[in-house]
Amino acid sequence: MEFSRLRKITALAGVASLAIVASGCSGGGNDEPASADNPVNLTVTTFGQFGYDDLYAEYEEQNPGVTIEATNIDGSANARVDAFTKLAAGSGLSDVVAVEEGWLGQIMEVSDQFVDLNDHGAADIKDNWVDWKFEQGTDPDGRVIGYGTDIGPQALCFNQELFEAAGLPTDREEVAELFGGDNATWETYFDLGRQYNETTGKAWYDQSAFVWNSMVNQMDEGYYTADGELNIEGNEAMRAQFDLLAAGTADGLSANQKQFDWGKGKAFVDGSFAVHVCPAWMLGTIKEQLESAGGGAESGWDVADVFPGGSSNWGGAFLSVPESSEHPAEAAKLAAWLTDPEQMVKQSAAANNFPSTLDAQAEIVEAAVPNELFNDAPYGEIFASRAEGVVAQFKGPDDSVIQENVFAPALKILDNGTGTADEAWNEAITLLNDLVVNN
Amino acid sequence: MESGTLMTTTLNRPAASSPAPAKPTLTFRQRLNVLDMKGSPYLYIAPFFILFALVGLFPLGYTFFVSLFDWHLLKGQGEFVGLRNFQEVLQDRFFWNSLFNTMSIFLLSTIPQLIVATAIAAVLDQNLRGKTFWRMSILLPYIVTPVAVALIFANMFGEQYGLINNILASFGIERILWTNETLPSHIAIATMVNWRWTGYNALILLAAMQAVPRDIYESAAIDGAGAFRRFFSITLPSIRPTMIFVVITATIGGLQIFTEPRLFDPRTAGGTGRQFQTTVLYLWDMAFQRSNFGKAATIAWLLFLIIILFGIVNYLISRRIATTGDGRGPGSGARRRRRGESAAPAVVLPAVGPQPPAPAADPAPESAGSAGTPARTNPRRAR
Repeated sequence: MEFSRLRKITALAGVASLAIVASGCSGGGNDEPASADNPVNLTVTTFGQFGYDDLYAEYEEQNPGVTIEATNIDGSANARVDAFTKLAAGSGLSDVVAVEEGWLGQIMEVSDQFVDLNDHGAADIKDNWVDWKFEQGTDPDGRVIGYGTDIGPQALCFNQELFEAAGLPTDREEVAELFGGDNATWETYFDLGRQYNETTGKAWYDQSAFVWNSMVNQMDEGYYTADGELNIEGNEAMRAQFDLLAAGTADGLSANQKQFDWGKGKAFVDGSFAVHVCPAWMLGTIKEQLESAGGGAESGWDVADVFPGGSSNWGGAFLSVPESSEHPAEAAKLAAWLTDPEQMVKQSAAANNFPSTLDAQAEIVEAAVPNELFNDAPYGEIFASRAEGVVAQFKGPDDSVIQENVFAPALKILDNGTGTADEAWNEAITLLNDLVVNN
Repeated sequence: MESGTLMTTTLNRPAASSPAPAKPTLTFRQRLNVLDMKGSPYLYIAPFFILFALVGLFPLGYTFFVSLFDWHLLKGQGEFVGLRNFQEVLQDRFFWNSLFNTMSIFLLSTIPQLIVATAIAAVLDQNLRGKTFWRMSILLPYIVTPVAVALIFANMFGEQYGLINNILASFGIERILWTNETLPSHIAIATMVNWRWTGYNALILLAAMQAVPRDIYESAAIDGAGAFRRFFSITLPSIRPTMIFVVITATIGGLQIFTEPRLFDPRTAGGTGRQFQTTVLYLWDMAFQRSNFGKAATIAWLLFLIIILFGIVNYLISRRIATTGDGRGPGSGARRRRRGESAAPAVVLPAVGPQPPAPAADPAPESAGSAGTPARTNPRRAR
């Protein structure tokens, strides 16, 4: 691809209609190792709950001359827009950029704009990670463009108080058994929901889209086949899951909450719903929501080592170094340090997420620090157990568009009760054709 | 302009009266002077035009260039496709949906906004105690950043936990789906826009109202016109030019609305089902969610054409109002009388005024124009 000059012109086009500020410099620069005599400024952009603040300070202390300027964006969707805008402009990306699994597929299409971490010792530390995580960060040509940070093995969060009120068991191991233990199925999940709804008249889950994401993420092939072909229209397994979810929602199991908003967290304290799909990082999100709504450990949330339909992974991030970085070696060094098992343990403690390196996982399981907010759940042990059997699913270039702009609106039809399963599915297919196929 | 014509006539005069060629007699200094006289004005206005060409004209042209290609946000320029992007966007249901939303929000915001702003301005135009306090107070919403406005209003208009729905529910009224239904979402967004812009427009209209001569009101009052009659027959017609200005700026602003719908539901680009996706928001969605820069540029251009269309319509309407406003229209009686008085000397003056022994070369209309100037400014002042 011939971009250097073209890209600068593109940058100007950006200014034209979309008000992007571009300063138009790329590559090169001084790449001497940082020292007190050769101070280096490294910029880092992360999103959501990353828990890196203390680690930055520690790194600066260990590496005289390095100053870290960190930016944290509120969520993955906005981080994507930020990263893509800067990629399109050809400048402005930080030296280290956090990339979410959901939009990694799009980044892979322009993987040549990211530094091959093999040039900076990626092969030596390859075995740190669970193998599928490392593979996800490797492009088809074998260039490693991202070091994995966390992964999102899914467990099931439930509210003890609400379970008790409905006459369901409250002990997390009994709850795991209730859902079927290792053989937990979505059918059981929805049946329990109906039972709960009959006793209490309340909803079972917060909204349909998260349940749907979890269902799709645990299939061998999701929205794309392993060869990168779209895999939705005529996919009977996917349609069967969709109908299962639609039937549950039609029976009043969805609280029709706004995702990632939940009434500024109020839905987590007022008993709107009793179970929640919980990829490891969701614990951090729930913590934030509870704090915002004035809830806490007394709100009754707990997490059980079980997930309907078996192992599932949702999300997780990578640290990448763009080619436009002026200090690729220093940036790669920082990215490697931040994703080193030792630092990952600290990150996990600060951000309530689950590490993607084996040593860090082992350490967290061993330390067995209870999560106070979740009824002292041994979350290391639970998520290590949930991470077993996770297989990486191929994420295509439009995975996040399909999730957010194709299925989210279709599932909203179900949540609002304004259409049948057929109508919602057809709407999804129409949207798919409009937004992805004929884009 | 008029002073310009005056200058050229005085400059031309010696050239026309003395047949001898003037050029060789000019010294370098004189020539510099002439250059200064003729060239400098262009130099003075150049910065604006250079800046405009750089940040206005070039991007406009380049955006059109981009719209002719398959252009991926990340992968860059692709194949040349001619006008295919335009063809596809014009057949795109989401584009028309966004236009409908834009127009709907625009009408829901501009019309009530202007009515309320005029009413507020009329109240502020009265003799109030603490005038400055009231005037500054209505401007307060304008200085609050739209992001903060959107956050607060999005909270108020929340479906399950919002203030407004809570109040409705306490009266036993069913909750309104502020983000999931089209019309309520448009009303919610229009409310944000109105909250922010009503005071600003009221101040501009107030300034226009204050320029209306008080003696007209007095004579109308003596003639027995009540407060409402005076408002509709004197105030409204007098602030017409300002009203047109406010309508035009509101139109341009309304067609480019972005922040409010973007932040009303920050997780989506204008609602899960695009209930309140405006055209600019669709442009953003196209560029940064769907990564199709070519089509985004196309939408930008179509929007540009639509705004131009609106501009022309506005211009035609305002011209019509300006011309018909002279002779017709409610309450122009008082103005007509004044105009008649001042127009009389304008007709008389050129004839009576000492017509200088103008050189034959001097074109008649120009001299009439310059001679008539002092008189002709009179009716303008009266407006």
